[in-house]
Amino acid sequence: MGVLERLKKTIFPGRQRSGEVTFLELFKTFQNILEKNNKILEVIAGMGDKLGGEYVFDKQYIISSCREVGELVRDLIYDLNIIAQKKYLDLYDAFERIHHDIEEELAGRPVISEGSYVIPLEEIPRDSSDMVGGKMANLGEIVNILGLASSPGFVITTAAFKAFMEYNNIWDRIREQPLDEKSAEEIYRLICDGSVPGEIQNDLQSCVDRLADKVGRYNLFFAVRSSARGEDSLHSFAGQFKSYLNEPVQNLTQCYKEVVASGYSPSALAYRREKEIGEDEVAMAVGCQLMVQAEASGVLYTMDPTAPAREIAVIEAIWGLGAPLVSGEAAGDHYLVSRIPPHEVEAFNVRLKTSMLIPKEGGGTETVPVPEELRTCPCIAAEHIRRLVELALVIERYFKKPQDIEWALDRDGQFVILQSRPLNIQAQVASLVCDLSTVGEGHRIIFRDKGSIAQRGIGAGTVWFIRSDEDMENFPAGAILVSKRTSPRLARVVPKASGILTDVGSPTGHMATIAREFRVPTIVNTGVATSLLEPGQEITVDAEQNVVYEGRVKELCYYEFTEEPFEESDEYRLLLRVLKKIAPLNLVNPHERNFAPEGCKTYHDITRFVHEKAVAHLIHREYHGKEPDAPARRLKLNIPIGLLLIDIGGGIDAAAGSGDLQPEQVTSVPLRAILEGMTHPGMWSTEPMSVDLGSFMSSLTRTFSSQLATPKYLGQNLAVVSQQYMNLSLRLGYHFNMVDAYISENINDNYAYFRFLGGVTELLRRERRVRLLAEILEQNDFRVDVTGDLVVGRIKKLDVSGMIEKMKVLGHLVAFTRQLDVQMIDDDKVNGAIAMFNKLAAGNLLPESKGRSNGQR
Amino acid sequence: MGNDKKRQILILDDEPIVSKRLKPALEKAGYEVEAFTQSTKAMKRVQEKEFDIVITDLKMEGIDGMEFLTEVKKRSDKAEVIVITGFATMETAKESFQKGVFDFVAKPFKRAELLEIVRKAEEKVRLKEAQMKE
Repeated sequence: MGVLERLKKTIFPGRQRSGEVTFLELFKTFQNILEKNNKILEVIAGMGDKLGGEYVFDKQYIISSCREVGELVRDLIYDLNIIAQKKYLDLYDAFERIHHDIEEELAGRPVISEGSYVIPLEEIPRDSSDMVGGKMANLGEIVNILGLASSPGFVITTAAFKAFMEYNNIWDRIREQPLDEKSAEEIYRLICDGSVPGEIQNDLQSCVDRLADKVGRYNLFFAVRSSARGEDSLHSFAGQFKSYLNEPVQNLTQCYKEVVASGYSPSALAYRREKEIGEDEVAMAVGCQLMVQAEASGVLYTMDPTAPAREIAVIEAIWGLGAPLVSGEAAGDHYLVSRIPPHEVEAFNVRLKTSMLIPKEGGGTETVPVPEELRTCPCIAAEHIRRLVELALVIERYFKKPQDIEWALDRDGQFVILQSRPLNIQAQVASLVCDLSTVGEGHRIIFRDKGSIAQRGIGAGTVWFIRSDEDMENFPAGAILVSKRTSPRLARVVPKASGILTDVGSPTGHMATIAREFRVPTIVNTGVATSLLEPGQEITVDAEQNVVYEGRVKELCYYEFTEEPFEESDEYRLLLRVLKKIAPLNLVNPHERNFAPEGCKTYHDITRFVHEKAVAHLIHREYHGKEPDAPARRLKLNIPIGLLLIDIGGGIDAAAGSGDLQPEQVTSVPLRAILEGMTHPGMWSTEPMSVDLGSFMSSLTRTFSSQLATPKYLGQNLAVVSQQYMNLSLRLGYHFNMVDAYISENINDNYAYFRFLGGVTELLRRERRVRLLAEILEQNDFRVDVTGDLVVGRIKKLDVSGMIEKMKVLGHLVAFTRQLDVQMIDDDKVNGAIAMFNKLAAGNLLPESKGRSNGQR
Repeated sequence: MGNDKKRQILILDDEPIVSKRLKPALEKAGYEVEAFTQSTKAMKRVQEKEFDIVITDLKMEGIDGMEFLTEVKKRSDKAEVIVITGFATMETAKESFQKGVFDFVAKPFKRAELLEIVRKAEEKVRLKEAQMKE
């Protein structure tokens, strides 16, 4: 940065009170904090980028990145304690906790949070198969990330399993001697006769109670299924473990024990031997879900395992519960459906169905005759079939493997996903992919090597342009989303898309984050997508090699199925796991109780806490009496902002006397530019403005009232400047803005950093405001990172006039968002506000149009 | 790519993920790829077969990178070597291996970047072949 070096040259001779640091020393430490803060967020964003799949990295990278962030965070705590005179030593404890967890992860010892014995389905975190087993982890992602329906329920975790086994001394028994059939039988009995520890019982009971409240019924019946660690991912364990249907609440603990015990059945034992799975690796979680009142149930393969080249999905369906179909006792209707939208049924065979399995009154199941009129009827209607295949393909796209899905159709005509696991078709598909280098031959390349890959993968589909909200509403599942810009607004349709292409956008932007969340192949910033593609055109997006082909390049799609998805590699998962301890931001609101060292759950939390407190200390100190070593002076502006200025070298015209300052006496380049942006006509909305703007604004916001402008707030607004440098901290209404910038003739030193923290409105509105900011910043070429309601925008290395332009934009933004405090009513308002912002910035909305002020001075 | 014979590439990195991510990308680009995680095995392989391009990391168990590189060059007049190494060890690598290395790439790298370097290396191999024929 070099700023510090330059600042060090300007030393104020100041009186020092004992035990206190001078303002300049304090500010230098603050600068240190800021610099490390930026560096930390940069490393975190960099780690996030690596999840996109464009990079090749190894474990060493993960280790060194974690350590780098760790050291920076530790230094940050040290710096804060200099500023705050050791007031925050507790932060070291928070740091040690997080650091320890990360080191454990890096050492290959995943941290299972003790005491999470039972977790509701909707709270299963991502990538948590160690805790909830493979089956429930998949289901958790299907429900919580993809937003598809499953039956409500919870999972009794591997932590509960460990506690149960310890409580009953079963581990010791297993370790005594190698397991053989005889000793396994004994283990099986020990488990069935064991007692479930009280803590687990309590957790289970409270989950059942919550579930009952949620569904408004107290007479609950459950399906209880195994979810072993590793089941449904590496090894199918198909049919090894027991499961129970329609069990009343009072049987849950016994069913739980029986399912756990089935992990020690002779066949499960033999299976583990064959797959070389160690006995100490066994960890059995158990999923408990409410019974679905199934009209029909079945299985769906997203690809035909016997003929993958045919591009069809296979559905089998029977009346009632699906168990007889899964176990092979019954044959059902058979449908072959095209994988390509609109998913026409290519062939079907409706069988005679004489009996069906249904839940029995009071618990258990029974086989009953199928009513006469349904025996020769197809179990699913034609219009339902398409929907089922669409759902299945959303799951396939996410897991990047053909899927074997168990589903049920409930009485409301809604499909419920019961489980999904990868369908093994490696061998058949490998034969389809003969010579990779000829793949794509015969397909015209529309463009290649344009823009950046935000999420790797292959996607084929028809082009769908998004220019308006209406386009978004009508987005057909499986299409390729093409738009001019990336926009956080598109988040809603991302999961339905086979691929995403944009003209403009950053691989580190909000959109890229969402694409990675849903694993949709995405190339941003291509510059040409909207001009070279036609709506309705069939294309294949190869976000591995960065090529867009005309038509569907089948072999590419198949090839991807034969690779182990990058998302399944150990390195990806490790990176994802350590990022969980690093990147999320839980400390949202400084006024909340958890905004404290003990509330810090991640490195980002600590970083955020330190920054907030450092600014508070700087301002607080300033507010409580003028420092003799750095007199603060008030700046007279035509907007009610109450800004105090501290000059640390050349930021104020030397000829300016004492007392209040006039704007023209500011010689700091960045401050001048941002003030010009803030006072731009209409942006602060204090001067008369055209009718349409006024009415729009009042429809949108409750303008920042003058009562909020209490001295308490006015004292919060501080600019520390030199001729090239500015650090601006503003608390306006409920937001907190910080801008830090350096502008000089040396292009490589130039940067601007903008940080916005929302205030105390409800979450949804906060989110809209965040979207508005992110979108405007991205439009203006800022690199944007969004975490919760924290928006950070960065830009660097522009020449002086370029930097000045960007500072003005930031000034506009500070002034404009100040008006948008509360009433972001709906998504259209966000778009309206963005349009309004752009009109205002261009000077197109003024009554007595003063035209555009030209900043090229 | 319409060459009658595919260019031969050897990848050596003790972290399997590197080959796993590179091999398919290079195969799609029309190269034939053999991947190794053990330097002794890679060493044996370069003594059996001539490769056009060798992509190797330097931190190795058993065989010193210099030794491996020398062997590759000794066995083939046309082979080009691309060194991939972690950020931390980049400088050391550049100091010790200036000789006979076509290019250095720091991990993590983008797959497209490496493909581009491979293409350039291939061009150089082709030129050398042409000169040998003359």
